Amino acid sequence: MTLPSADPNALGRGPDGRLPPLEDPSERVIVPAKRRLKLRHLPRQWEVVRVLAARDFKLKYQQSLLGPLWLIFQPLALLGAFLVAFKGLGNVRTSNEPYVVFTLVGLSVWSFFQASMTIGTASVITNLNYVRYTPCPRPAFPLAATLASLPSCAVVALAAIVGAVVTGHLSPRIVLLPIGLVWLFVLTAGVVGISAALAVRYRDVIQALPFLLQVGVFVVPVGYSLAGLSPVVRTIVELNPLTGLIEAWRWMILACYDPRLAPIAISLALTGALAIAGWRIFSRLETTMADEI
Amino acid sequence: MRSDREQTHSNGAHPVAVSAAGLGKHYRLGQLRSLKQTTGRLLGQAGAAGPGVEALDDVDFTVARGEAIGIVGANGSGKSTIVQILAGTTLPTAGVMRVYGRVLPLLAVGLGFHPDLTGRENVTLFGSSLGIPRRTITERMDAVTAFAELQRHMDTPVKRFSSGMTARLSFSVAVQFPADIYVFDEVLAVVDGEFRDRCLKEIRHLHAQGRTVFFVSHSLNQVAEVCDRVMWFERGALKQIGPSDIVLPAYERSLTHER
Repeated sequence: MTLPSADPNALGRGPDGRLPPLEDPSERVIVPAKRRLKLRHLPRQWEVVRVLAARDFKLKYQQSLLGPLWLIFQPLALLGAFLVAFKGLGNVRTSNEPYVVFTLVGLSVWSFFQASMTIGTASVITNLNYVRYTPCPRPAFPLAATLASLPSCAVVALAAIVGAVVTGHLSPRIVLLPIGLVWLFVLTAGVVGISAALAVRYRDVIQALPFLLQVGVFVVPVGYSLAGLSPVVRTIVELNPLTGLIEAWRWMILACYDPRLAPIAISLALTGALAIAGWRIFSRLETTMADEI
Repeated sequence: MRSDREQTHSNGAHPVAVSAAGLGKHYRLGQLRSLKQTTGRLLGQAGAAGPGVEALDDVDFTVARGEAIGIVGANGSGKSTIVQILAGTTLPTAGVMRVYGRVLPLLAVGLGFHPDLTGRENVTLFGSSLGIPRRTITERMDAVTAFAELQRHMDTPVKRFSSGMTARLSFSVAVQFPADIYVFDEVLAVVDGEFRDRCLKEIRHLHAQGRTVFFVSHSLNQVAEVCDRVMWFERGALKQIGPSDIVLPAYERSLTHER
């Protein structure tokens, strides 16, 4: 083998003999750590979250005949199922609101949660190559999956609002709905963060998820109201963090809806706890993802 | 100009690009999680965790800004682990590494792309995952396209690309985005002929501009062509670090001795 001698003009200096300015002048100290991400680093990831979310949303409906029309068909089918199950068979009492509008509000929250969990839990695993071969910040995967599910929520929520307007039940409290949306996003992102991080280590999560979501829809008051439940069942349902959230959303959208305060308070507290747990668990497990995936 | 260079050389005041001290990486061997292991642990059997291996063991080095450094060694010697730590995809289990400047790693050709996204979308995604601002990505898009010679294909999903096209796009992204430290992990093996020569030329060009280059390769000719200095890893330890024309012949002799 011949070794060409190093070019004396290419000793790592610019044409004028000086080093170019650094693109990124910060120092990065890499040490063994249980956790390396700081919460304040999160806003910097917005750009990649946005690009990933656009990708997730696009891929969901690519090479499908109906494309984004599924956004409408899926909740429509669920609504039909609820109508048959609860209205047709059970004849559930939903105070004064039209049943369809009442259910659509619950459905908008549930659709979002379900869609986020479905893509989000597998988000780190499906992005295997990014995790292994690029320095892409890992929280971006579950966050993007959650963000990409917003259209599922928006379509149904819009239908609920239109329904409330048509039937004359729209509340002026609708202006508070952005707060409700942030609340929903934080709660969902927290749960998705936990499940996505655990799924990398324990694939059991992937197996359990469809089953949990199927059971979940029954302990969320989407198609029935809390008032019609027996005290024991109601307590169980009220401990679900989504219950208080849905109740709050109904209070924001429907004029004469008067929910109990307890489930809303429970939901707010659990949202905070789950968001913190989501961040703690994800940022802890994130450091070993490339080795374990 | 000349004296400026001499001065920085003589007083040793080279600005540092990457330094490592006592760097180590321990991996557990065997299956990570299994029912057998879980029941073993539940029953209190010792050793259920399995043995470990030191992918890197007490590695010290300093690479100055503007250096092109080659990394050679047998498979499993720790070459890839060192660049993975540098790229930030994994953390060491001992020691410290200090990095000054933005790292642009190319750790595997074509694997950082999503098959369903177009070339352009993939480039945007890759760039933003490195923390490169959207405006810079837009500015560099034409250069990336031109270097990869994919002008007519940037709006085609990458899954319809040939493997050569994917490799060209990978490379193009890795050399056309602005960074301070460029990392190439055994990536020229998959492209051939004229494009490989262009890549080597581009890597030498980055080096000539004063960018730091880490170049992992099994091809000693390529390492000699690109690098001023070489690190030789053996079973996780840094066996030798020094000028290419000293370390490479020594490494090559060790290869022929083994045979």
